[in-house]
Amino acid sequence: MDAHELKNRFTQAVLPDILNDWEIEETTEPLHGLPDTALKEIFRQITVIWPVSHALCNNFLQAVARGLTCLHHSQLGDWVKAILAAYESGGLHEARQLLEQVEETFLCPIRGETGISFTEITTRLQPYATGLAGHPLELSSGPEIYTDTATIYLPPRIALLPKRVDNFLLYKLIISFQWAFTAIGTFSLQLRKDSPAVIAAAKRYRTVLPSEFTSLSDFFNLFPEPAVAANLFHFGETSRATSFLQERLPGLMRESTPLFQALARTIPPDTRDSSADLQRTILLQAAQDTYKWPSGATPIEELFNALFQDDATSQDSACFAAEAYDRFHDHTGKSCPPIIFQGVLRPAEVLAVQRKRRTAAKEQFIAALAAIINAPPLQDAPLDKEKDEAQSSGFLELEGQSTVVIPPAGAGKDQGETEKSQEKTLEFITIDDSRIDLPDKLKKLAREIVDDLGHIPSQYISSARQSAGKGLAQGNAPPPQEGEALTATNLFIYDEWDYRRTGFRKNWCSLAVKKINPVTGAFVGNTLEKYHGHLIRLKRQFEMMRNQERFVRRQKDGDEIDLDALIEALADIKAGLSPAEGLFIRLARDRRNISTLFLVDMSSSTEGWVSTAIKEALILMCEALEVLGDTYGIYGFSGMRRTRAELFQIKDLGEPYNDEVKGRIAAIAPQEYTRMGPPIRHLTRLLAKSEARIRLLITLSDGKPEDYDDYKGDYAIEDTRHALIEAKAQGVHPFCITIDKQAHAYLPHMYGEVNYICIDEVKKLPNRIPEIYRGLTS
Amino acid sequence: MENIAIEEHIITEKPFYLVQGEELLIARTAYQNRLPILLKGPTGCGKTRFIQRLAWELARPLITVSCHDDLSTSDLVGRFLIKGGEAVWMDGPLTKAVRAGAICYLDEIVEARKDTTVVIHPLADDRRELPIEKRGETLTAPPEFMLAISYNPGYQSVLKDLKQSTRQRFVSFEFNYPPTELEASIVREESGIEQSIAEKLVRLAAMTRSLKDSGLQEGASTRLLIHAGKLIRSGITPRTACKATITETLTDDHEMLAALEEMVSSLF
Repeated sequence: MDAHELKNRFTQAVLPDILNDWEIEETTEPLHGLPDTALKEIFRQITVIWPVSHALCNNFLQAVARGLTCLHHSQLGDWVKAILAAYESGGLHEARQLLEQVEETFLCPIRGETGISFTEITTRLQPYATGLAGHPLELSSGPEIYTDTATIYLPPRIALLPKRVDNFLLYKLIISFQWAFTAIGTFSLQLRKDSPAVIAAAKRYRTVLPSEFTSLSDFFNLFPEPAVAANLFHFGETSRATSFLQERLPGLMRESTPLFQALARTIPPDTRDSSADLQRTILLQAAQDTYKWPSGATPIEELFNALFQDDATSQDSACFAAEAYDRFHDHTGKSCPPIIFQGVLRPAEVLAVQRKRRTAAKEQFIAALAAIINAPPLQDAPLDKEKDEAQSSGFLELEGQSTVVIPPAGAGKDQGETEKSQEKTLEFITIDDSRIDLPDKLKKLAREIVDDLGHIPSQYISSARQSAGKGLAQGNAPPPQEGEALTATNLFIYDEWDYRRTGFRKNWCSLAVKKINPVTGAFVGNTLEKYHGHLIRLKRQFEMMRNQERFVRRQKDGDEIDLDALIEALADIKAGLSPAEGLFIRLARDRRNISTLFLVDMSSSTEGWVSTAIKEALILMCEALEVLGDTYGIYGFSGMRRTRAELFQIKDLGEPYNDEVKGRIAAIAPQEYTRMGPPIRHLTRLLAKSEARIRLLITLSDGKPEDYDDYKGDYAIEDTRHALIEAKAQGVHPFCITIDKQAHAYLPHMYGEVNYICIDEVKKLPNRIPEIYRGLTS
Repeated sequence: MENIAIEEHIITEKPFYLVQGEELLIARTAYQNRLPILLKGPTGCGKTRFIQRLAWELARPLITVSCHDDLSTSDLVGRFLIKGGEAVWMDGPLTKAVRAGAICYLDEIVEARKDTTVVIHPLADDRRELPIEKRGETLTAPPEFMLAISYNPGYQSVLKDLKQSTRQRFVSFEFNYPPTELEASIVREESGIEQSIAEKLVRLAAMTRSLKDSGLQEGASTRLLIHAGKLIRSGITPRTACKATITETLTDDHEMLAALEEMVSSLF
């Protein structure tokens, strides 16, 4: 519809009122460029609103273009109804709220069957996000859409499109774009002082470069209006992301074409050199729509189009931001909200995540390196203080009695170097001229650090060596003896392993075995009801495990004749040999000969969800084990300080599973700290006494061992590990089930790579634990 | 036990195997030094194909035994049978291999019972002997004989694992998913589809492998990708082919199935 037609239609719509020409012109101006289908609907609504209030109608027309970015034109009727209702109750003021904030005030209250909420999509799209990234990438909901490279923040609800499946697709698209930003290096842009973009910006706007210049925020601050610069940069990156996704996820982009086209249509056409224009270009590119500007591309557009090429980098986006800044009309304050899947850029948060990750990697690396440095016998020598060294060649020489040498990247591996992948794998280090091959875990960590920082800082190595070094313990004097009187009837004393001196601290801990008072209540009943269906299945599964009925062949007697054995016997006779005596088949029920002790972490960190999930899991486990017939026991542990480690007897190995035991399970409540050594040693002792052929110690934990005193960090991990080794030596198999997402950092070292499992969601515990038990013992 | 002539165990065509590192070199060196080898790794990573290639390179026959719970010692070593009124000794696959100086490959060795597994001990150390009690003879393996075993470590059951007394006799190789470019070449060669689809399949596999322990027991193996490729080459649409060969094969859990569908539909 052209301007003339618009004015005519409007004049018709407002009859019998007559407006003068310039009033009509002004009122219809915002309608230019809207699609005809939408306009038809708009005019229908004008006839509804105009009689009620002229002013309201004016406001409506000014807001409708924006409204159409969130609403489909078929929803305009409902929207107007809501606006009128607001007007009638609260006047223009209240109606205006609805007009301006379409999303929050109108869309959300619609109980749209077509809308979809964040919680509905997580089960399908969380694994999708993890798969895309190659590592756990969390999804979370929040008011803004953005990513900090560890988490993607999504809107709590999307109802923009008429069909539910399209709204789901939009969620998927947002996730993919946010991942793409991380993958194409938006946040890892290294802007140095001599980058062309930086120089151009600083010169043009006469801003002084700060001395420390690394982050995106610093770059944006070079401009008079940093937000505009950030906006331009973000558009540049979105173009790159679009090309990237077209290449990587063609199926998704193909499916989303109608979506891109719909979004593009909501943008008014006459918006050159503004962000709306850039948005349209991106959307059309995404939809693979070739839209040609009527009068040829401006230089800005050419610069922008270059960003869709495969070899564009984030530097190019920064250059684009610098070049285009002046020409941009967004300075007048009217800029469009970002395209929904673009979200916003939050460089500060990304930096925070990177820092955290770096610290974690550093700690892990130091710990792991210290552990293997410890292994070969080093001479007892005082360690010199290391100075900071230059890292140019990748070699590191430390002064002192021993040298740790890291070979430069690529040494020891003769791989043809392709352009794309240069495997900078740290294969080994040299200590005192003896080569120590790095275990895979350490290699991986080293590679991550090198990828991140470009080298391994000398400080990491020196810290590792200090950790590993023997001799002077660094200020870890034993805590003073506490004069607490213990009234428990069962009191045990255990040694503790000090890895620094590679020896035991004798009689270091006292462990009190306490009973829990059972609680009567609805917990057990509720749990059984909640998992009723699951329990039926579980019991059936465990029942099938119970009797492994086997036909045992070649037996001296049995019900059936073993024909194979008989034929062999006859053949043997013919050959002159004396035949075997076992010629029968017997049906044997392999009696399972397994004893298991469950060790449950009852530290204060298990409060809330975790405790409930653990208790529910225990109930299910007991129910299943009763069917199976294995011997089992349950103990909880906690305590504070070495003088008061506590073990709570919930069910002893020989005890029957009765109401009292159930009551004790229900009574499990978070206690204090997590000193794991003494409980493990105690339970090992109990298990060793049992006569079962297979003895299992299954630990349920939510994190690292840590106590109130110096039992934390490496010391705690090493003592726990040693207790587990002692268990293995006595014929007990330890296994750990944890919900700690950081488990991979320390559990392989403590339990061994295949002897633990991490469950990512607490609420899955009740389902997974019996499953794991089943897998372990069949 | 069928009596297949040893000649039929010789591999005539060069098996397609893309070398990833020094594994062939090490295996050949082990062979020259008369050491047995142990292959470990997840399913579908090329262990069997590697052995076939090795056998072809060394020009030795290859006898494969798939181990299971009911495998007895006589199944491996041999037994007397009655033929035409006479008792005739029939060599088992292990004995046949020893006699012929072939390579004997025991696949999934942890599935067999422990009392069966011990029969390989004298063959696997420097004695290189196979006692055949019923015949009262002890075979000494010729220098051309080699013993190879395989298993999948993964998530271990306490009841089924490889004891130290067994495993410490072997030279061990770890097999894993190949690096991306290599895997794409393998998929392309084996299934006959074009490079771009092979690359997408490899990308899909990588996404599933990130989910190991987050819902999937194992990610997609190279073998599954080859299956998908073969179906695609025969005209099935990629999405359908992936659903049948990869998604439905990896899991029965409905939530995981839906999540995998999202991955497939984003790539194809």
